Amino acid sequence: MTGSLDFLLLLSVVGVPLAALLAPSVVGRWLLVLLYVVQLVELALLGSGDGARSAVSFSLLGHSVGWQLDALGWFFAMITVAAAGFSAAYAAGEWGTLNARAGLSLRWLYVGLQVNVFAMLVLLAAGDMVALFIGWELTSWAGLLLMLLAGGEAIAAARRYIVYAIAGGMMVLGGLLMTLAAAGSLQFDAVAAAIPTVGTSALWAITLLFVLGFSVKMATMPFHLWQAPAYAFSPAPASAFLGAISARMGLFAIALVAIKLIGIVQLDRLYLYFDALNLRNLLAWVAVFTAILPTFVAMKQNDARLLLGWHGVGQGGYMLLGLVMADSLGSAGGLLHVFNHATYQAILLMAVFAVIHRTGTADLNRLGGLVARMPLSFLAMLIGIIGLAGLPPMNGFVSKWMIYRALILEGQPLLFVATVISTLGTVLSVYKLLHNTFLGQLRLEHETVKEAPWSMTIPMLVLCVVVFVTGVAPGLVLEYVAAAQQALGLAPVAFILGGIDSPAGTLDMIWVTAILLAGFGIGAVLFYLMGGRSRRVHQLDNYAGGHFLTADVRYQYSDNFYAGLMHRIRPWYRGSFAWAEEALVSTFGAIATAARGFFEQANPAHWVLVGTTLITTWVMWHALV
Amino acid sequence: MTDLTLAVALPLLAAFVRPLFNAGALRWLGQLIGPVVLALVTVILFAHWSTFSEPFAIALGGFAPPLGIAFYVDRMALLFALAVPLVTLLLWPGDDGADGARRQSLTLLLAASLTGLALSGDLFNLYVFYELAAVASYGLVAGNGSSAGYVAAFRYLMISALGSVVGLLGIGLVYFKTGTLNLAELATLGNELADPQGLAAFAMLAIGFGVKAEMFPVNGWVPEVYGAASRRVAALLAGLASKLAVLVIVRILLLMFPSDEARQLLLVLGILGVVSGELAAYQARDMARMLGWSSIGQLGIVFIAFSLPGEAGLVAGVAAALHHLVVKSALFVLAGPWGGAIDRLRGAATVSALGAGLFVLFALSLLGLPPLPGFWSKFLVIGGLADAGTALHYLGMAAVLTGTVIEGAYLLRVITTLYAPPAGSPAPPRQRGSDLLTAGLFGIALLAAAVMIDPLWQTLDALAVSGVDTAAYQQTVLAAQEAHP
Repeated sequence: MTGSLDFLLLLSVVGVPLAALLAPSVVGRWLLVLLYVVQLVELALLGSGDGARSAVSFSLLGHSVGWQLDALGWFFAMITVAAAGFSAAYAAGEWGTLNARAGLSLRWLYVGLQVNVFAMLVLLAAGDMVALFIGWELTSWAGLLLMLLAGGEAIAAARRYIVYAIAGGMMVLGGLLMTLAAAGSLQFDAVAAAIPTVGTSALWAITLLFVLGFSVKMATMPFHLWQAPAYAFSPAPASAFLGAISARMGLFAIALVAIKLIGIVQLDRLYLYFDALNLRNLLAWVAVFTAILPTFVAMKQNDARLLLGWHGVGQGGYMLLGLVMADSLGSAGGLLHVFNHATYQAILLMAVFAVIHRTGTADLNRLGGLVARMPLSFLAMLIGIIGLAGLPPMNGFVSKWMIYRALILEGQPLLFVATVISTLGTVLSVYKLLHNTFLGQLRLEHETVKEAPWSMTIPMLVLCVVVFVTGVAPGLVLEYVAAAQQALGLAPVAFILGGIDSPAGTLDMIWVTAILLAGFGIGAVLFYLMGGRSRRVHQLDNYAGGHFLTADVRYQYSDNFYAGLMHRIRPWYRGSFAWAEEALVSTFGAIATAARGFFEQANPAHWVLVGTTLITTWVMWHALV
Repeated sequence: MTDLTLAVALPLLAAFVRPLFNAGALRWLGQLIGPVVLALVTVILFAHWSTFSEPFAIALGGFAPPLGIAFYVDRMALLFALAVPLVTLLLWPGDDGADGARRQSLTLLLAASLTGLALSGDLFNLYVFYELAAVASYGLVAGNGSSAGYVAAFRYLMISALGSVVGLLGIGLVYFKTGTLNLAELATLGNELADPQGLAAFAMLAIGFGVKAEMFPVNGWVPEVYGAASRRVAALLAGLASKLAVLVIVRILLLMFPSDEARQLLLVLGILGVVSGELAAYQARDMARMLGWSSIGQLGIVFIAFSLPGEAGLVAGVAAALHHLVVKSALFVLAGPWGGAIDRLRGAATVSALGAGLFVLFALSLLGLPPLPGFWSKFLVIGGLADAGTALHYLGMAAVLTGTVIEGAYLLRVITTLYAPPAGSPAPPRQRGSDLLTAGLFGIALLAAAVMIDPLWQTLDALAVSGVDTAAYQQTVLAAQEAHP
């Protein structure tokens, strides 16, 4: 039995009215989860790399517009549909019921989720550049639907998002139509064939417009300001879905246009200063700064959702960095990181929203000690942060290892050092997240908190299994990554079930995990051989400054975490980009006020004369020259 | 063929007959006369549109040009002429109170003169119809009797009158140089106008006809008038009247001044229009003014499109103009109950879900969300600019793209206000059924256009082919001239 792309698209279109119909009831919501399972099965049946073509195609304004899902799009589509399914399941039970009672429209939430999936499928299966742009714009606006739902501070974030998104979309449209002018067609083959003949300045313009436009959705610097608040303040399932996959649509589009159509060779041809700084190097540096700065911004966040949102921006930098290395190892690492990030980021956001569900806050200064109250959520977050920090045996380690390895092999020691700095920031801030939420002293008001309901914990724990299994056996995913690389025209990575086996480097996670577990085992054996001495204390007991603090002494030390470190590095946080954005907006506002003044002057009839005079002058100038 | 003259004559006649049935036993006839005449004219024009094979000319009353009045009928003229009674019918003012009859008379007068603008093949007649349309619009703007209405109408009158003087100077200059005002004859004399004097004449004509077309910098009346006039009048002026004025400028450009300089002038004024209009709209706090400024920006895009050479420019321009005609008319209709301060609209979506939905639909099309028609019109305009490929064209591209971003910022501000939780008292304003019906019809037209985008494009392409064929224009009119010696 093989799948059909048309049936998949039809399913996701039909899903929209179904979502509106079914979302209010619990049973209906589980049926919608089932719908995602069906979509996922259909997608799996399609298979990676067949290039399933949709029978639906249009001739619009002389352009043939059609859809075809290749291995790259398939890889992203699987993650998208699965992420939507997990998010839908998370909200299907108690979360949905309680939040609906609090005034959230579940109908719009599920419709928004399904519209997003549909829009992303339209983008990912684009068979030509018109279809690509249609999918791109639909995806941008569909994201807005989810961001607007929560109201309040989410509205401001969503407005900011849409200005960035339209700006990105318009850059893409400009690039698209300059491509049309240069290539005479918007079919992928024709564009790829015409690119080598395009002059340098036109190619600069086209490439920059595309890459900048697409990278707005990735939130690479300097377009990074919008993403964290826009994703963080959405309702839980929307936030998990957006955080897991939405921004990666930008990476998909960059891979498709910059790597596949324009080609890495052409990016090397575009240089700013002889060979020293070409566009590809420039992108690599943009990527690495995106990996560093947002990570350190994440570290100082006190809202757990924002902390994760900023990490989402930073991890996008890793993906782009791996991709523009464009060797078999680096690009595979970048693509694999898309999958890995989607899995652990979804877990982390779900865990944070589970805590919000039970305690009503995500403020890291007002939480702590929940480990005994919400052990499953703790476990999920622990596995999630191991993934995010890129430590074995979770899957984040594998993709980061591949990127590091590629940087070393490609002779980029500076970039490598920069990514290490970013990883340092990641480790510090995810520890802050885990500690301030689950460790330390429990707060009085949280003493009666219970674990989140199973409808919320099961999706998290299933994802934890995925993170662990694909960490131990990354070959399961690398198979499809290699197919996606081939679809991009890159050399596929040489993989084995446990990881990589190529002249460029060897990594077998099965061994790594075995050694790690053996290490733990030896430690445990030693511990129990030594007598296994341990002392059980009450959870509210604590230890600070050489003194035991018993349960009756309240001592909350998660507040202002990393005080010493922040004291050292605080002067580095200049907020320059936020300042620049604000300055831009207010300058723009002043100019706009002036423009309004032009129309509101007392006697605009003068302008008829002024216009006539100016134009006559222009005509006379023409006569003289 | 001569029945086409009825398209102008009937509404004109009806406009003068209408006041006779203001009271008394035949009052119902007065109510009926306008819609019936407009429907009849629509049928006549549609019959011509559907059976159209090749352009033809009509010499009114058998008096041949250059003495007589000439109509020239091609696809483009028919399309715009057809839009006039159709849109007027959709925006037909109801008869509420004493002013009703007068408003209906003036609307009929406006319809007659706008149809005349579409069909005339003679510079002097164009001017006459243009002035007639202007007079009708002064009356309509002042018609609601408020002091703001009078102030706005006076402001409009001042600019328009000065503009007309400049335009008349341009016409004089053309006549002085060539000795004729017949567009067909002028088209054969292209060389005589291809000098600085000719260019000056074009500039003056552009300024004269540009007042109604909301062209920069003679559009200072726009926000005031749209803010003060009743929304249906604003819809009529912004949606319909401006397009006919644009058509006149395009005809003049194509037939008389096929020079790069003239196109350049139109491009520059278009760019300034986009930039100034969108910027001002960004700072607007009042719905009707915001729509007015946004309409200046949109017409800037239309001018940019028409400044592109060849068929591509004409297709893009007509597409952008028609799209704006539908969308802005509908938005002004929705701004009827929703006029005034935008902040007042908090939570309006809760009382008028359909109205808010329609607003979102039109806003998205204006922003160019594919596959709505607004996207394709933008696609054509920017595609043409990228194709032309000079520095000035790239500047135009940047202006249109940036303008869209600004537009997104302020339209989303309105949308989020509509969907925000209601502020309590006063309750958010509710849409009226009649307005929703009108806007809904425009919405259906928009969605239908989105579905049938390719056949529409092919129609526009065919229209553009005959539109840029100035040789056919000359032959047709001059042949008609010989037929009536």
